[in-house]
Amino acid sequence: MTNARWLLIVLALVTAIVAGVTAGTLPLTPSEVLHGLLGNAAPMHIAVVRELRLPRVLLAALVGAGLGAAGAALQGATRNVLAEPYLLGVSGGAAMGAVIAVALGARGPLVPLAGFAGALGAVALTLLVARAAGGRGDARIVLMAGVVVGAFANAAIMVALAGADASVVRGALWWMMGSAADASWMAVRGLALYVAVGIAILLVLARAIDVLALGEDTAAGMGVDVARVTLGVYVAGALLTAGTVAAAGLVGFVGLLVPHLVRMTGARTHRSIISGAALAGAALVVVADLMARVAHPPAELPLGAITALLGVPFFLAHLRRLT
Amino acid sequence: MSRLTASLSLLVLASVLAACERRTAPMHDTATDDFGDTVVVATAPVRIVSLNPTTTELLYAIGAGARLVGRTSYDRIPAAVSAVPDLGPGLRPNVEAVLAARPDLVILYASEDNRDAARRLRAARVPTVAYKVDRIADFARVTLALGRITGDTAAARVTVDTVGRTLAGTLVRTAALPHPRVFWFLWESPLLAVGGGSFLSEMLKVAGALNVYDSLPEPSPSITFEDLVRRDPDIVLASATTRARMLADPRWRTLRAVRERRVLVFDTTIVNGPSARVGASAVALATLLHPDAFAP
Amino acid sequence: MIAFDAVTVRYPHREHAALENVSLEASRGQLTAVVGPNGSGKSTLVRALVGRVALDSGAIRIDNVSVVHTARRAMATRVAVVTQREEPAFPLAVRQYIALGRYPHVGLWRGYSPDDVAAVDAAIALTQTSSLAGRTITELSGGEWQRVRLARAIAQGGEAIVLDEPTTFLDVGHEMAVFELLSRLARDGRAVLLVSHQLNLVARFADRMILLHEGRVAAAGSPTEVMQGSILERVYDWPLVITRDPAIGAPTLVPLRARPRG
Repeated sequence: MTNARWLLIVLALVTAIVAGVTAGTLPLTPSEVLHGLLGNAAPMHIAVVRELRLPRVLLAALVGAGLGAAGAALQGATRNVLAEPYLLGVSGGAAMGAVIAVALGARGPLVPLAGFAGALGAVALTLLVARAAGGRGDARIVLMAGVVVGAFANAAIMVALAGADASVVRGALWWMMGSAADASWMAVRGLALYVAVGIAILLVLARAIDVLALGEDTAAGMGVDVARVTLGVYVAGALLTAGTVAAAGLVGFVGLLVPHLVRMTGARTHRSIISGAALAGAALVVVADLMARVAHPPAELPLGAITALLGVPFFLAHLRRLT
Repeated sequence: MSRLTASLSLLVLASVLAACERRTAPMHDTATDDFGDTVVVATAPVRIVSLNPTTTELLYAIGAGARLVGRTSYDRIPAAVSAVPDLGPGLRPNVEAVLAARPDLVILYASEDNRDAARRLRAARVPTVAYKVDRIADFARVTLALGRITGDTAAARVTVDTVGRTLAGTLVRTAALPHPRVFWFLWESPLLAVGGGSFLSEMLKVAGALNVYDSLPEPSPSITFEDLVRRDPDIVLASATTRARMLADPRWRTLRAVRERRVLVFDTTIVNGPSARVGASAVALATLLHPDAFAP
Repeated sequence: MIAFDAVTVRYPHREHAALENVSLEASRGQLTAVVGPNGSGKSTLVRALVGRVALDSGAIRIDNVSVVHTARRAMATRVAVVTQREEPAFPLAVRQYIALGRYPHVGLWRGYSPDDVAAVDAAIALTQTSSLAGRTITELSGGEWQRVRLARAIAQGGEAIVLDEPTTFLDVGHEMAVFELLSRLARDGRAVLLVSHQLNLVARFADRMILLHEGRVAAAGSPTEVMQGSILERVYDWPLVITRDPAIGAPTLVPLRARPRG
């Protein structure tokens, strides 16, 4: 990808972050925001900028980076441009973990942890099911196993919510629709480390993904350990996604959409696609979170709803391209 | 403020008017409920199913509690209600379970979710009424209505009277006191506050405080943290566990009220809806908010 | 250089073995062709070589070292494989795609050295694909795509090149061009092993032919030895005659029309 395009993506991200920190329910001028960041402003301004907006914007950026990178890697490794990070039952498992936790009365940080555990459990279960079906190296069998696990998780969620109290249902639904509202500096630090490691692993595998994208037999003939690289991408992608899910619930379409946008700018090798998708994904989610905050004050729209809206024009465009 | 005063005046007026009625035999009459349906209640019911915690409490308050043969899982007050069979949820109730209790009166919560149940129960020839007891004005209206239906008009009148006087009295006592601006926390994810549409907001007014979210018409609106910071409440009301969490959380500490440790514990789970205890609760709230003026 | 030594491969849940006791050798400087009817196990041979199916028994050796004891990437630097079908999901530029052939040499990390660039250039020159170098692989015609794939395999370097049905969907001119190229690669010293169903074409260019039938070797030897009417009629289960074509004298299979039922 050309330098100009990299610059464009980085600029988009920086603009998004600046917009995210500057805008919000409390009207602040850019100068007030700056002073708030630096610490010489009214305590309320400092608090809003430093404790509310900045961690939230950074969390949104990290979630977008993780989902963008995971989506790009998964699309390459499965040779399927409609692949996305919530494959392998990740979204179902995460939602199941969180919903069961809320239904059992858990509040606060226990819920995202339960979501995280659910996501990892679902991935492990998917790989086990795929192995039992005899095809850990076959992408289609693994994807199908993911569908099975996802279906089971959805059934479990429905059962858990059926007899539940209205507040539980509301809390569970809110979590499933995604939100960066609970951002804290602790969460940002944790997620930053996590996303950095996850993306690093995917970048290491990037060239192997390039070869894998040509076809499994062809890749085998070129010296790629197909089973191991595919598994590596699935696991790293799932871990990244599970981390974003723990931080912000289910935020759909980012992992699906962003790699397409990046490839449209001309990125060809997965090293550029994955890094570009991380940056572009970060920008996208920061903007979506901003819209979630200011679209309908004082209420907040769920982040996942905004990103889902993006899915509509995307699929329309894809449909047009197919015909 | 004027709306609330109007409600309280209406309350007092209603009881006065009811007192002037000629004493007749217990009325077995037509009742028009909150669904707009008219139901004929032939004789004073002796097997009552109440599928709403507030109406259950009201029935006990007017002395009809002994006739209860069914309640919801959420009905906890008074303690005696635990002996009454639990028939499940109040929203979209299990109609068969209700019919199995052979009731001669069913009281539903007037939510759209219960239209279907109301229709089915009436089709089974069980007198069914649906009421919404969400605001203090509803408390007076529905208590008197229930009193007419169950034949406990006198007790209903007394209940409404007593509560009305308590509320009016408290309002008078707090009128001259400085009114703190209060944020009443309801839920964390999503962030929900007590809004202007809730009777809790009315109670705050009686207790001499201003609800920072009184301008929002919903009973439990979803809000953003930043908006809350902008409204800068003086006091936060929450449960004990939430209070502990808030005082330690750096995000909550962006609120001045939390930094100043002006987070007061008032458990909203006790007050499900404006029942006969709403008067006492208002006094308790006023005592919490104005400890000097309401010293025992 | 590439030797299959009594290789047996069984797919699960199938009654007959895909390959049974198959032995063959592809030597340097020779064009070795594996032929046979559909389902005779030809593609399984290639899949076994790249390790996509496991051997039930027997061994595959590269210069007497079993592939089981060879690291995949090391093997890929010595043997390049062009599979039967390749439908890439992403629109790479042709030159980028050919350069991917250097993966076994550069691995995950290394940048492309001048040697790598030279190998890519040589491959492009050999396959005469320089006019295609700037285009995207998704917009190539069938024949162009096949040549580009061949270029990728050549760029991969190594002493052997294995191809599975390299001329499917190609017209006469492109077919001949591909075979001429393969023949030249063999003459230049590589071991060329190819799988094809086009007997006549193979008979003109191959140094050795191996005929597979239901997973077993039915005949092996020079084209003349293998192209025998009796053997081929039995294997292909169709009436045919073997002639010598008048132009260059290569053995040619001519299938006969089915005799009308009386």
